[in-house]
Amino acid sequence: MYTTKSRFIYLSLLLALFMSMLPWSGSGLMLRPDFVMVTLIFWLCRAPHLCNIGTAWIAGLLIDLATGGLFGANAFAYSLTAFFAVIYQRRLTLFNIPQLALFVGALLAVTQITQLVLRLFAGGSIPDWHYFLPSLTGTLLWIVLAVLSASGTAPTGAASNKRRS
Amino acid sequence: MEQPTTAFFVRGPQPFTRLVFFSILSLVLMGVDARLHYLTEVRQGFMGLLHPLQVAANMPGYWYRQTVEYWQGHDAMLADNRRLRIVNLQQGVDLQRLRSMEEENMHLRQLLGAVQEIKQPAQLAEIMNVDRDPFTQRVVVNLGSRHGITTGQAVADGMGVIGQVTRTYPFSSEVTLVTDKSLAIPIQVERSGLRAIAFGHGRDNIIDLPYLPTNVDIQEGDVLVTSGIDGVYPPGLAVARVTSVERDSDLTFARIVCEPAAGIEQHRQVLLLKTPLVAEATPIPDTPAVTTPSGKAPAQTAKPKPSAPASATAAPAPSTPAVLPAPPANGGT
Repeated sequence: MYTTKSRFIYLSLLLALFMSMLPWSGSGLMLRPDFVMVTLIFWLCRAPHLCNIGTAWIAGLLIDLATGGLFGANAFAYSLTAFFAVIYQRRLTLFNIPQLALFVGALLAVTQITQLVLRLFAGGSIPDWHYFLPSLTGTLLWIVLAVLSASGTAPTGAASNKRRS
Repeated sequence: MEQPTTAFFVRGPQPFTRLVFFSILSLVLMGVDARLHYLTEVRQGFMGLLHPLQVAANMPGYWYRQTVEYWQGHDAMLADNRRLRIVNLQQGVDLQRLRSMEEENMHLRQLLGAVQEIKQPAQLAEIMNVDRDPFTQRVVVNLGSRHGITTGQAVADGMGVIGQVTRTYPFSSEVTLVTDKSLAIPIQVERSGLRAIAFGHGRDNIIDLPYLPTNVDIQEGDVLVTSGIDGVYPPGLAVARVTSVERDSDLTFARIVCEPAAGIEQHRQVLLLKTPLVAEATPIPDTPAVTTPSGKAPAQTAKPKPSAPASATAAPAPSTPAVLPAPPANGGT
């Protein structure tokens, strides 16, 4: 049961990587949510024993490879975000979906701010406000995912955790 | 695991321990990648693994375009055909003139004993992937080192220069666009023959022309072409058009904003031009010294701040028309 589930996680991450590698351009590029990070957050809250900071780190490294960026920059941003997701994970069952969406939005912002800081160290310039639009679209994507998965199974992660253990 | 209290939740090491471990790992990686450049081979190897995914990611777009083309109306096709035929006719006339001018030019060069202009063969590549972060202006194209692509090659489209190949993988390569902050191109103003260096702005699809004095002879609408003295870009390719010139007497330099001539965000196909230094490595011992330093990769090391104003303002050279490769002076020996 665990193996099929973890295989499912890796498949979904691969799918997210695939989505982010689609040839986006123009406003689509500006609005493109961070598919991999959204998927990671989804699994970090849902199945923290299978998807952890290490998973996030490897996913970030793959993103670094795919985009040709600085090796380890995205890996760092992702593992930092995963850390925040993991330390608050056990409290999340208390929240409803709008509150969780706020949390997810904050996590995505943490990723982007970390990426921004690393960029600024490398000599980039401060971008416009719409640099943070992907966080917003990412949150929307997460809401869609959460609603879809909730309609299929139990409302929050608590029930599914109980069922598994 | 380690503590009896946490063993109830099987979670392995504490989150903070993991964070510290992976942060240190990524910081080390970043340091190694940025400073030591050891990871090029590693990156190329992994890129080979990711290549199928990248190809697959391009398939939906490809199918979409195929179907759109298939279902595009007959009339649209005919109209397109008619338009293209007219364009073809016009360009055919131009081409005939070009041939005769090329011959004339060659003849004149022979008379002068100048270096022959090198024809640059080109390969057509397709843009596969656009870099997702808004700071770097980079695209990935579908030709790589297996197809004979090397770093430093110039990339252009039908309207002008797009950028330069900065990294090659086995089956794909990375092109840094002219609008990227780290890319500098030696240019010449077509109208006045003034030479300067253009830098990408980093965003908003803008090219800057810094370090030029406020009284510089540049007007709005001026076309900037490659000067060719770098040995990377063939001379005479359009780079940008000046959109605004701000002459504030309080500032040392004029603020000149240009927009790229090439359709950087519109095309899917681009041309990768063979660098003359790579294509014919031996027969250029007599070209002037300008080609030697910039032949490597101006994208990576280009911070010529102290030398830029000097070289830019040194030669207003109104005598040489823009299309000639710039320094024919000491070529003939």
